[in-house]
Amino acid sequence: MSKTVHKLRPSDYWRIGEHESWFAEMAAKGLHLKKMGIHFAKFDKGELKKMRYRIDVSIKKKITSEQIKMYEESGWDYVTSYQFFHVFSSPEELNAPELHTDPAEQSYTLKELDKKLASNAIIVVVAMLFIIGLQYSIWFLDGTPTLVMVGGSAIQQIILAIFLGYYAYQSLLASVSIRALRRNLIEGKPIDHYAPWKKHYRLHSTIAFLFTIVVGLSAIIPFVQLIKMETKTLPEASTDLPIVRLADVEENPAMVRAEPSYVSDNVDWGNRYSYDWSPLAPVQYVTDEQGVVPGEMWEDKSGEYTPGIRTQVYQLNIPAIADNLITDLIERYRYEDSMEDYIETEHPDLDLLIVHEKQEKKEVFAVKGKAVMYVRYYGYADINVVIENVVEKINLISE
Amino acid sequence: MAYNGGPMTEAMYYVLLALMRPNHGYQLMHAITEVSNDRLKMGPGTLYGVLSRMQKDGLILLAEDDGRRKTYQITPKGEHALRIEYGRLKALIEDSSILREVDEDE
Repeated sequence: MSKTVHKLRPSDYWRIGEHESWFAEMAAKGLHLKKMGIHFAKFDKGELKKMRYRIDVSIKKKITSEQIKMYEESGWDYVTSYQFFHVFSSPEELNAPELHTDPAEQSYTLKELDKKLASNAIIVVVAMLFIIGLQYSIWFLDGTPTLVMVGGSAIQQIILAIFLGYYAYQSLLASVSIRALRRNLIEGKPIDHYAPWKKHYRLHSTIAFLFTIVVGLSAIIPFVQLIKMETKTLPEASTDLPIVRLADVEENPAMVRAEPSYVSDNVDWGNRYSYDWSPLAPVQYVTDEQGVVPGEMWEDKSGEYTPGIRTQVYQLNIPAIADNLITDLIERYRYEDSMEDYIETEHPDLDLLIVHEKQEKKEVFAVKGKAVMYVRYYGYADINVVIENVVEKINLISE
Repeated sequence: MAYNGGPMTEAMYYVLLALMRPNHGYQLMHAITEVSNDRLKMGPGTLYGVLSRMQKDGLILLAEDDGRRKTYQITPKGEHALRIEYGRLKALIEDSSILREVDEDE
């Protein structure tokens, strides 16, 4: 019973000469080619033997018995096939005649493959442009790319785009290489059966390794998010969360929590905090809080005074994107309001402060260090009280 | 590529020449070596490629297939093409008389 050994194939399948010399070097080490997979080659472990390997190209996946027989009679044994490539071997001491003695004739065997690879490359490139265009448009749909990226889903999109791009590049390279090989053959230059394979082998295995890691990691992201994200009812007592509390803004002991309007999974969504994670912003909170002051009315007498507050806060891994995130947050939540109504002001304890006030709606956008905070408050408290609270709470995650 | 009457490759020419007598794969390789006076040793890959291409183009046909051996022979179309190519090559040699004159001058 012989032992089988698997090895990562040295390079791209269309590098015929490099594969031939690789197989020969492996045989010299006692590894005899058995089968070729997409990424791995399977060898039988046996005695060290000096072998010659030749790869024949045919667009037909199956090679005829006539061809196998004809080659056999000349001392070449059929080994295996992969895609359009058929491998034959012959012991060196047999001194079998070369399979192809006429490069120009051999170029005809590449013609169909050349055509196929060319149309393949065109299809892949068009599909790639289409998909990347689609992703791009989704990503920029509401003009808030940084917000989408911080949310986490864009990272996989980018990786998918890189993956597609690489695939398209490979298809193009295959097409160009086979065409070049065909030209060389037509001009009478035979395939170099001893082409050095080590350089491409190293490059190829490095890229394969990196790709596995990157794609593997990106596949983990949604699971990490699933495990890490959670939503709970916000406790009425003060917490150590980096959020602005309604009670601290209203400063009215008469205020009580509003009756839950929407409860799901035991969470009062009007008074909740949600934690989320993404590679760019490993700490993210969104909280909502709703209160009511019994007996007090909104000024327009539309009903009982029910102030509300929402905090969105992000701790960023890359503080440099904070300003872009603020711009996107404004864009995302400004609705029909004009960008000019959002006023940038100076604050000694903040890197950036933008405020927006429209009747009882008060919005504060703040940056400090790694932290980005967006607070939207409906009520009669002064906006400066909101700002004070933002300054106090943003310190919890600014470093 | 379908043969369009242009110059043949050396491999095509000799295979057609050898197939003036019906023959099969392995024998054919020897026959080619023979008719080329040992000058041309054709590899099995080249031979197989030429055979399948010329069969598709109707220059040769499968005379006999007993399952083990396939015997090929030239078709009238193939012989016609071979003779045209022969005429072309002969003209090439005749046109090269310049070289002979140069040789004689030396």
